[in-house]
Amino acid sequence: MDMKNVKNANFLQIDHQIKNILQKQGVIILPSAKSWEKFQWVRKFFKRKPKEGYFVWVKKQISFPLTTCVAIVSPRISQDLKNFFVVEKNVKIKANILCEAAKNHLYGIHKAQGSILLKEGAGLEYEHFHKWGEEDLVNTDYEFILEKDSRLVYNYKNLFPPKNLSLKTKVQGYKNSSSNLTIVAKALNSKIDIKDNIFLRDEKSQTIVRLRLVGERQSQIQAVSKMFALSSGKGHLDCQGLLVDKEAKISLIPQLVCKNKEAQITHEASIGKINEEQLTYLRIRGLTETQAIDLIINGFLKT
Amino acid sequence: MFLKIENLKVKGDGKEILKGISLEIKKGEIQALLGPNASGKSTLAQVILGNPKYKIIKGKIFFKGKEITKLPPEKRAQLGLALSWQTPPVIRGVKLSHLIDIIKKREFKVKEKIASSLLEREINEGFSGGEKKISEILQILFLNPEFVIFDEIDSGLDVKRLEEVSKIIKNELLKKNVSVLLITHQGQILNFLRPHLVNVMVDGKIICREKDYKKVLKTIKNYGYEKCKKCELFAD
Repeated sequence: MDMKNVKNANFLQIDHQIKNILQKQGVIILPSAKSWEKFQWVRKFFKRKPKEGYFVWVKKQISFPLTTCVAIVSPRISQDLKNFFVVEKNVKIKANILCEAAKNHLYGIHKAQGSILLKEGAGLEYEHFHKWGEEDLVNTDYEFILEKDSRLVYNYKNLFPPKNLSLKTKVQGYKNSSSNLTIVAKALNSKIDIKDNIFLRDEKSQTIVRLRLVGERQSQIQAVSKMFALSSGKGHLDCQGLLVDKEAKISLIPQLVCKNKEAQITHEASIGKINEEQLTYLRIRGLTETQAIDLIINGFLKT
Repeated sequence: MFLKIENLKVKGDGKEILKGISLEIKKGEIQALLGPNASGKSTLAQVILGNPKYKIIKGKIFFKGKEITKLPPEKRAQLGLALSWQTPPVIRGVKLSHLIDIIKKREFKVKEKIASSLLEREINEGFSGGEKKISEILQILFLNPEFVIFDEIDSGLDVKRLEEVSKIIKNELLKKNVSVLLITHQGQILNFLRPHLVNVMVDGKIICREKDYKKVLKTIKNYGYEKCKKCELFAD
């Protein structure tokens, strides 16, 4: 997904300017600042009046995915977004969220903070794409609030990393909610800092977190993934790193905190390097070394 | 000569594995390489294809008249060399169909049910021994090679499957004038493919070359590989 496909985005912001808001029946889409003025109840999520960002409120079932795009196209832009995404009771939707720099060397800053609220019985498939230039600084901090019986599938993908990426994700899982989070990121001449905090707050809440991280040339990745079982929930952390360059560094720290004896939480973590035998196998099939490494990395990111 | 190997000496993990191998295979010819476990058969196959794990300390390899001793594996593949691995590695997250799309040099209709069911699976992930062999053959066919080494293609296959595999090698490769080197421990496949020449390798050396594969199989059956050196067919 990239800029070419977002002309019909439901929310399109370029640099600091909102270029388009495409309203659809059953959905309210507003700049966050307007939602602050219009709806008293959103204030507890924003805490103070936001300057930029979007508010999406899916009130009724829709049959198409919602798309938002926030892009940096000019040099030295510093975005500070506050977003709020609400899915009403029993509504099940898909969303494509794209944040990107239009080209390399824009020295942009992208800060995004937000909440995603799934009300009782709601379902959300949230595809989150990041595509940045080598000099950008990116900082995101999202909290998913999963009310009773809600379902979340969250896929974050970043194959074009910025110079610095800080990615914080928090999940609050209430009764019988489930979430499946996959975070896929590649670091190249960059520093990536990932922090997940998953709270299994009520009984039967379930979460699976999968981290797939690739450290390429001159990169550092640190991921701290914590799961707190405050109830009889179930959860699993699966953290895997692949070191491609000998000067890259990956640090994976899965942590389990259990406060309920009925809870079942587990974790696995591993960091490996490109397997020489796989590489030779693919080269003997005719792939160059670079093609073979790319294929192995892409395969790893899909597992 | 289509493939020519001259006095090849090879080290792996600091140890000499191949101790002066010479081999010549003509265009369209099928030869076999028999030998006990750890005699160096698979090493020879990997070295012909350019596996950088092994160090050539002496000797040369020629393919289609061109010296390829120092060529990287992908260049050898481009020249038309292919290898069916004895134990191919798992490539996680990559479907067999995806790899085939990348490597294929010709269209080939996959009729076999088992083969087509493998296409949408991750390469070698959870494949049985037989499925791995089918996957290897499938890739070879799409590669449209001029010279193929089959490393223990007959191990792990039952007689019926072995016959089918032999038929594919015959119809899709040999009839199209592709040269084949069959590496085998058991030698069963020779009964289906009847090689023009059998080479026996023991301890990194080819100690016997014989046109009559039945004679070789019989000798090995009766005396074992270790006693091959004493038989009247001894090459040196």
